Amino acid sequence: MTIAPKAPRAPKKLSMKQRYQVLTRDLDWEPSYVDPKEVFPHTDFEGIIIHDWAKWEDPFRLTVDAYCKYQAEKDKRLYAVLDGFAQGQGHLTLTDAAYLNSMKLFLQGVTPLEYQAHRNFAYLARHLNGPGPRFASLCQSIDELRHTQTEIHTLSNYNKYYSGFHNYQQMHDRVWYLSVPKSFFDDALSAGPFEFLIAIGFSFEYLLTNLLFVPFMSGASFNGDLPTMTFGFSAQSDESRHMTLGLEAIKFLLEQDEANVPIVQAWIDKWFWRGYRVTALIAQMLDYMLPRKVMSWKEAFELYFEEQMLKGLFADLAFYGIKPPRHVDDAIAEKEILSHQVYWTLYQFSHAAAFTTSVPTEDHMKWLSETYPETFDKHYKAMWDKEQENIANGGRHFVRGLPQLCQVCQVPMLFTEPGDPTTICQRESEFKGEKFQTCSNGCQWIFEREPEKYVQAWLPVHQIYQGNCGGPTVPDVLEWYGIQDGDNGEHLGSVDDRNWQDWHAGSAPEGD
Amino acid sequence: MQYELRTQVIEPKRKTFDNLVARYGDRPASRYQEGSIDIQATENFHFRPLWAPDKEIYDETFSVLRLTDPYSFLDPRQYYYAPYVTSRAAMFDAFSATLDYLEERGMFERLPQAWSELFQTVVLPLRHYESAAQMVSCDTARFGMGTTITQCAAYAAFDRVGNAQLISRVGISLGGGSADLLDVAKTSWLQDASLQPLRRLAEELLVERDWGRSLVALDVADQLLYPLLFTHLDEVALNGGAGSYSLIAQHLSKWFKDQRRWLDALYRAWTSDPELGETNKVLLAEIVEKALASAQTAASAVAVRADQLVGTGSLTAVDESAATIREFFRALGAPMKEKQS
Amino acid sequence: MTATTAAQRYVGVDIQESEQNRAVVEAIEETNPDCTVQHLPGLVRIKCLGRIVITRDSVEEKLGRDWETHEFQMAIVSYFGHIKDWDDDEIVIAWDH
Repeated sequence: MTIAPKAPRAPKKLSMKQRYQVLTRDLDWEPSYVDPKEVFPHTDFEGIIIHDWAKWEDPFRLTVDAYCKYQAEKDKRLYAVLDGFAQGQGHLTLTDAAYLNSMKLFLQGVTPLEYQAHRNFAYLARHLNGPGPRFASLCQSIDELRHTQTEIHTLSNYNKYYSGFHNYQQMHDRVWYLSVPKSFFDDALSAGPFEFLIAIGFSFEYLLTNLLFVPFMSGASFNGDLPTMTFGFSAQSDESRHMTLGLEAIKFLLEQDEANVPIVQAWIDKWFWRGYRVTALIAQMLDYMLPRKVMSWKEAFELYFEEQMLKGLFADLAFYGIKPPRHVDDAIAEKEILSHQVYWTLYQFSHAAAFTTSVPTEDHMKWLSETYPETFDKHYKAMWDKEQENIANGGRHFVRGLPQLCQVCQVPMLFTEPGDPTTICQRESEFKGEKFQTCSNGCQWIFEREPEKYVQAWLPVHQIYQGNCGGPTVPDVLEWYGIQDGDNGEHLGSVDDRNWQDWHAGSAPEGD
Repeated sequence: MQYELRTQVIEPKRKTFDNLVARYGDRPASRYQEGSIDIQATENFHFRPLWAPDKEIYDETFSVLRLTDPYSFLDPRQYYYAPYVTSRAAMFDAFSATLDYLEERGMFERLPQAWSELFQTVVLPLRHYESAAQMVSCDTARFGMGTTITQCAAYAAFDRVGNAQLISRVGISLGGGSADLLDVAKTSWLQDASLQPLRRLAEELLVERDWGRSLVALDVADQLLYPLLFTHLDEVALNGGAGSYSLIAQHLSKWFKDQRRWLDALYRAWTSDPELGETNKVLLAEIVEKALASAQTAASAVAVRADQLVGTGSLTAVDESAATIREFFRALGAPMKEKQS
Repeated sequence: MTATTAAQRYVGVDIQESEQNRAVVEAIEETNPDCTVQHLPGLVRIKCLGRIVITRDSVEEKLGRDWETHEFQMAIVSYFGHIKDWDDDEIVIAWDH
């Protein structure tokens, strides 16, 4: 469609770039009444050298007024969907109540991380010397608060009708599998500003973001969870800005001084593996917790990490001498076994978790066999067949002991030796006369770099044995966790399952 | 004709999250409550910060000012993210409309010389003060205790950049679309005698490690500057044929009113805390008195300059604001000094 | 892994499918004739070898009203590549090296 030629636009005296510069960077000045080093006391100790903070680029040149305008519009649309869904009892159109186990994991495990990010980007908005990255960090800080709250508000509706959501904050601080994400972010918040920038700004928000985020949001889309899907779309444009900050952060550090390269490389090595271990929870969610499957963990890992990151991003970073993350081969080698190992463990321990698990159905098993032709039938199907039989005989297998946790990632030691799925991988390190166990080459390497840090960890299983978790029995611990009837154990026959059947009783049979 | 839609009614199992039931009883909670109460972690931290090995990641000892229960402070505006950005979007829309109007009618060119100079040499340099205020607010946003205080501080930090950008946009308009006047304003900020006490105050805030002390000190300075520049001078401007000044000032004084709501509520929470109230009253008296000393010097220097240009009783206005501050804290039970002459 | 130049690698952008964004998508298709456009539920996925350019002029032509490049914020769901440029008149997504 052509329209009449436009009248020439009045020439602007300031370009967008210049205007943005004037409205953000030029606000800064060099202090003279106090020692400038005292104003920024956190940016020297990590060994990172910055010669010129002005070299930081800001591709997303949003000023405060534009930010507020667009974000307000996004929220208006999102909350309209949340309200509509709630009003229409939309939860009844989910594929199944079992789907919500993925969202329980999300609220308990991921939402508190958004909040942690909010607090620490505010730290960067104060403590980075450069006004450009300070403002970008401030925007990200309140973006993360937006994500925290929109997630809470989205999932608040499910809390009204389903188990497992009601005590997510306290559970995040206390429950065993949730120490995996909690310790990950505590690790980042206790680090210096540059490490945090690389750990979260780059590794979490760029390198691993699609692996973390897309499975949940797509899972929502495929399983009738309209509000979560809408939240996902709504948050994604914020995520574009975050990805940009993360990528700019790493390039800026690498370009400022060659001395930064090995430091940044070591952080990439550490934080890829730390974050990858957290995605173990995503892997099992994708392959086991969704009634309607989106894609397999294997596919997600191949697309979002191997293709987009290794072939795309790291090809770009090679220019600086950056190599793909140490231990990445171990992650690639695991892609066909990870989800099975993790879910098998969660299945056995879900009596102590705030979600329910179940033996895969026949159709599900078929999908697993087809999707993992090299590994599922060979290593895992037999266990499920045996458990099927057990259940048919009135049993349901739960482990009555407690698992050993990895000192670093805090996942139970369920991983296997690279290349040998039949042998549990156990690594041991010594520090000040004490022995510490880790689950993999990656976690061991991380431990031995900073043992004085990791020996501080609050390991949930150790803490239970030390008597710090409410009492000596499982019921005592579950009460201390705030777990209520319906939250845990077997899904079939659970409170949520029975409610689901009741609520759908008498409705017209679904066509296909 | 009225009709009632038939919907499938399912009784909710729960009305809200456990923590809110424990605090407020078994009833539905507001979005502010669900999004703000008890969100920050409180226990079982895994690692101590490398840059503060004697502290936890969230630690009440990052300030001497504390609350027994952080959630005894709630934002009276009930801002969570959505209403916050909605409110600010509206405020900026109003400001843009003002600026467009002033630009279209060439109002800045029609300003009396003295008022133009006031804008250039007093108001524009304050964008740097606002930048420091953003950083101070961010300290609270990271190191404060609990979600409710830190949320207010994070929004306040964003607001300060907003204020700085508002002032900057005025400077660009005054400068006919270029940044020239802002360059000059930066030099003023760095060199003009009337602004040095304020710059010193701002820089000293940036090396104060206790977020509560710096937050209060910043607010004391604001409580002298904002009424002076954007209420007192607003009135004077209208009487002096400088309507544009008033049109701009209204936006900043409107913001300041909003800002007061959460800070005044915070002061009330600190001084009425069941266990720490008495301690906080004494601390606040000490902090506010110290802040007033440097803030009054700084604001008075600015006031003298304003009086030189537009001759208006600015110095008196500053003194009155200082007395108001003392009165406010005295009423809360803080042992303030008698009014200084 | 063989080294590839920036021009040989894909960049992409996912845009929220909506009435407002229809013009944006059309403009991108026109400005970048070699790109592939995939319509998924609620999402339009655009992929290009080397670079994607979004110009203000082209969007305004399709939209029939003034448009600021800022508004692209509202349309973008995610992207891969590097935002090389974002000014008043155009946005460029490419890899650096």
